[in-house]
Amino acid sequence: MAAPMTLRRDLFYLTRILGGISHLGPRAVGACSGHRTNNITRSLLPLASSTSFHTTTVFSSTPSSITVTEEADTLFQKVSLLVKGHDRAVLDSYELFATTAAKELNITINKVHEQPKDMDRFTLLKSVHIFKNHRVQYEMRTHYRCIELAHITGCTAQVYLEYVQRNLPEGVAMAVTKTTMEKVPDHILKPLWEDHPIDNELSQ
Amino acid sequence: MASHTRKALLSLGRINASSLGQASRASYATDKPSHASAGKKGFPDRGGRGFVKRPRRPVGDPRTEKMPVDQDWTAVYPSATSFRPNAVPLPLRMGYPMKRGVPPEKKGNLELMKIPNFLHLTPVAIKKHCEALKPFCTEWPSALDADATCDEHFPIKLDSTDYVSAGPSVRNPLARVVHLRVKLSSLNLDDHARKKMLKLIGNKYCKDTDVISVTADSCPLRQQNQDYAMYLLTVLYHESWKTEVWEAEKSVADMEEYSWEDSPSQRNILDVLVRRKAAGEGEGEEVREQLLGRSEVQEYKDSVTRLKNEGESESAVLQYKEAVKKVFNL
Repeated sequence: MAAPMTLRRDLFYLTRILGGISHLGPRAVGACSGHRTNNITRSLLPLASSTSFHTTTVFSSTPSSITVTEEADTLFQKVSLLVKGHDRAVLDSYELFATTAAKELNITINKVHEQPKDMDRFTLLKSVHIFKNHRVQYEMRTHYRCIELAHITGCTAQVYLEYVQRNLPEGVAMAVTKTTMEKVPDHILKPLWEDHPIDNELSQ
Repeated sequence: MASHTRKALLSLGRINASSLGQASRASYATDKPSHASAGKKGFPDRGGRGFVKRPRRPVGDPRTEKMPVDQDWTAVYPSATSFRPNAVPLPLRMGYPMKRGVPPEKKGNLELMKIPNFLHLTPVAIKKHCEALKPFCTEWPSALDADATCDEHFPIKLDSTDYVSAGPSVRNPLARVVHLRVKLSSLNLDDHARKKMLKLIGNKYCKDTDVISVTADSCPLRQQNQDYAMYLLTVLYHESWKTEVWEAEKSVADMEEYSWEDSPSQRNILDVLVRRKAAGEGEGEEVREQLLGRSEVQEYKDSVTRLKNEGESESAVLQYKEAVKKVFNL
């Protein structure tokens, strides 16, 4: 009974894909992959009726409600993303993605510049044993891209950074430097010796 | 009868052939009893193994042929996946051209599959994602548009870094480091407190930008380092307002800036002027004070203070020269 076995195998593969996609990306992506699931079910399982193989959608159609708290939002004067990778073309595409996303979310971009690449070179012996005059040289190139954003609130920064980091391609690393602005705390506004004068002999 | 027997013989022969065939098929123990498949593929000619290939559906046209031009691309590539030549309707070629040829085509191209692609992040897809993310964003307060206003209302700046990379661990020990930067002028300090604060801070103060920078990295967690940096600032502030008993022993060598009063320069100039006048009036404190009150002496005082505090420069030395000429009426 080869035919029903193949169908069942495809179904397991499908559920694994669904499980994989569901916890990837925001809710809008969920809507798209839901559409895609139906296509797959229809194409891969032509013999079975859709009612018999029911794949439950793991993602909800309505987004979760947004809670607004009284807590003051952190303010970031500057957020700088330094992206490192071995391939310059990948970083070019990623820069386009990050800048487009920032523009869509109304985040001011200060500067986008490319740091000069780092070349890590070392020389090794070519042979396992002797032959000192024959060597082989390797190098590792690290390309950089720096995207500086200015004047972001804590909520927006969290949303943008999570979106941008989830879509970080394989083989690319990122370092995010955040500059938080804070008010002078209450205990540094006035010296406490005015209210609580200390005994000078104690300080000796 | 003959026809009968012939038919019988023929049928016998057929049966024999089929039985022979079945017998020979049955002799292979590993043979699967799949009669439907045998009919499609025929007799297997692999010696010794005898497995029968699964029936394959005929390979149809690639999906790219059926794609309309105005399709929803976000449905084709909703998330990050490897490159599929049959799903991407672009005539891509990638690779090094060998033997005066062209780069290899996209079908079965390992280079195209290896490199991370951004087909799931087209501008349309990014717009869709951002539309869904917008409700979670907050706006920057419009009153804080300039850096100067930000510094005025929020003078304390805390710097910290987050790291994202692939590896056996998500943690990065450098992520615990916190830098705190404050402008000294934004703190509520009087003259004595300011001088004491500068002495306490030492080399963590930059004179040009008037900024105190404190780096905290001794604790294992970032929140702990942040708390420690704020604690340090608090302690510095309150300690600098205190006046200890031993601060009364501050000598001229400890002073931060040069003050002309009670300095050798003042004594010298007064001695010189008094000796010049010694013929006429008598000596006394009033003569010295009178001399001090003169404008040339004040100018001399300004020039000497400027030379000592700001260092030697052309204009400062020239000013000193003019002041000396005026004092001695040269």
